[in-house]
Amino acid sequence: MAAPSAAGLGRRLRAWLPRIMPVRWSRYNPSYLEPEAKKESYQKPLEELTEEEREHMELKAVRPIKAAPPSLSSSVFSDPMISKFTNMMMKSGNKVLARSLMSQTLEAIKRKQLEKYHKAPENEKETIECNPYVIFHQALKNCQPIIGLSNITKGGKTYQVPIPLTDNRKRFLAMKWLIAECRENKHRRTLMPEKLSQELLLAFNNEGPVIKKKHVLHKMAEANRAYAHFRWW
Amino acid sequence: TLRLICTTTPVQRKNVGASGPEKYTEAFIKKQIEEFNLGKRHLANMMGEDPETFTQEDIDRAIAYLFPSGLFDKQARPVMKHPTEIFPEQRKIQWGEDGRPFNFLFYTGKQSYYSLMHETYEKLLSVQKHQDQLIAQDLPLQKEKRNLAGSRWLTKIELEEMLLEKVSDDDYSRFIKLLQKLVALPCADIEENYIQKFSKEVPVQLQKVVIEPLQHDERGVAFSTGEGKRKTARATAVVYDNGTGKITVNGVDILHYFPVLQDREQLLFPFQFLGRIGKHDMVCTVSGGGRSAQAGAIRLASAKALRSFVTEKEVEFMRQAGLLTVDPRVKERKKPGQEGPRRKFTWKKR
Repeated sequence: MAAPSAAGLGRRLRAWLPRIMPVRWSRYNPSYLEPEAKKESYQKPLEELTEEEREHMELKAVRPIKAAPPSLSSSVFSDPMISKFTNMMMKSGNKVLARSLMSQTLEAIKRKQLEKYHKAPENEKETIECNPYVIFHQALKNCQPIIGLSNITKGGKTYQVPIPLTDNRKRFLAMKWLIAECRENKHRRTLMPEKLSQELLLAFNNEGPVIKKKHVLHKMAEANRAYAHFRWW
Repeated sequence: TLRLICTTTPVQRKNVGASGPEKYTEAFIKKQIEEFNLGKRHLANMMGEDPETFTQEDIDRAIAYLFPSGLFDKQARPVMKHPTEIFPEQRKIQWGEDGRPFNFLFYTGKQSYYSLMHETYEKLLSVQKHQDQLIAQDLPLQKEKRNLAGSRWLTKIELEEMLLEKVSDDDYSRFIKLLQKLVALPCADIEENYIQKFSKEVPVQLQKVVIEPLQHDERGVAFSTGEGKRKTARATAVVYDNGTGKITVNGVDILHYFPVLQDREQLLFPFQFLGRIGKHDMVCTVSGGGRSAQAGAIRLASAKALRSFVTEKEVEFMRQAGLLTVDPRVKERKKPGQEGPRRKFTWKKR
């Protein structure tokens, strides 16, 4: 069985092996920290940093750092949200196809927005957003639910209890809903980039089926408000 | 008449397993130490060296010479070390002649662990009392923050060695939480001596790797080499100075060798991070692995080569960006009884 890897804090830590092998484990020793690829964060002078950032910097100077994954790069075009979304769109490891679909989607968004821009009258030209990255981020933000529901069994019956969601969970749900929406509710002949760009633009303007799904979830949570005290965490 | 022929009745049979690991008496250990010292001098005489200045390394070399062993496991080979290293430190008997234990926590089973917890909690209470006294006298509390980044707590194994008894994971985490609580209080400086027993220094900037100086080829151009690996791919890169930004892999240009944009982005990552895109030329050779593994291997090799061209601060930035660490992730092995590393066989009800 491959054991957790050994580099770093000496011979003593190498023998760290939990008694029962957990299912979710990584080849890195737990003391390894995440890498930071953005060039700007290394050029900030010392005075601008807050207390937490200073402590974090000191910690980074002492601890070993994990290797940067292939999707992370310091170029202006690499965006962590876009890479996460591409990974979720990917099927059976075909990253090439997923990445090309993503770039075609962004191009389609840009084209549609430019068309609108050129047709619009002078005073409205400033309100039209043409940057596809900004549209993507805003659309995702609009799709994120605030509360979620979870099944809690009490006294034999299962209730849908409203619970707060973590940031990661919100982002994941927004991306999953978008992708599921684009895969199912479309005509057989429409391609993924076209449908995705359509959905993203609708979500950017707070319309569309994904936003409706989010509102439905919020209404269910509001309806089940009475069971909120079942949550014990 | 019946003749009893070699039968062991259950009463006479000794249960070897129930008595636990062998207990070494003090006299036994002393004898072992004397024998060791005598044997050391004999060995020095045999090897023709001075018995007074015969160090442990000399002993190891002599034993390896006199008893050559082809066994793979280093711990199975003949070894001659000081008895304190061979016989594990054991606790002396915990009770007196009348059978009464010395420590009042003996019947808890983990007496040293619980006594340690009690001691640490007493220190915590004394720190809190001191704090209350300072507040009552309206004096300011000392807010000197202990630098947590430079030290680490004892590991579980080190704690076990210190206490000479087994410590479970839960107990260990409870102890560490208590220590952290103690350190978090503002007036914890009083108990600095006590806390230092449980913390160890971590050297800043782990692995001070030696950065090789630049070499110069016939035309006078400075260059440096680096090696990298990822999964099964192995790559070597030679980075030349005063270049135009051309990159050649196995004799082919990168545009032809890596048709995928992601791999080319990975190759350029170290150069883009340092801001030296058009300034260096690179020639690399790579073998093994797949397309993404080869790109990762070349990235690591070029980052290692670029260390010689760049200041120490920038090397530290590269390390924090994850460019200089070897990626330890490899393909997980298939397990018996399952179809793949994680996928199980289809479950059939009957």
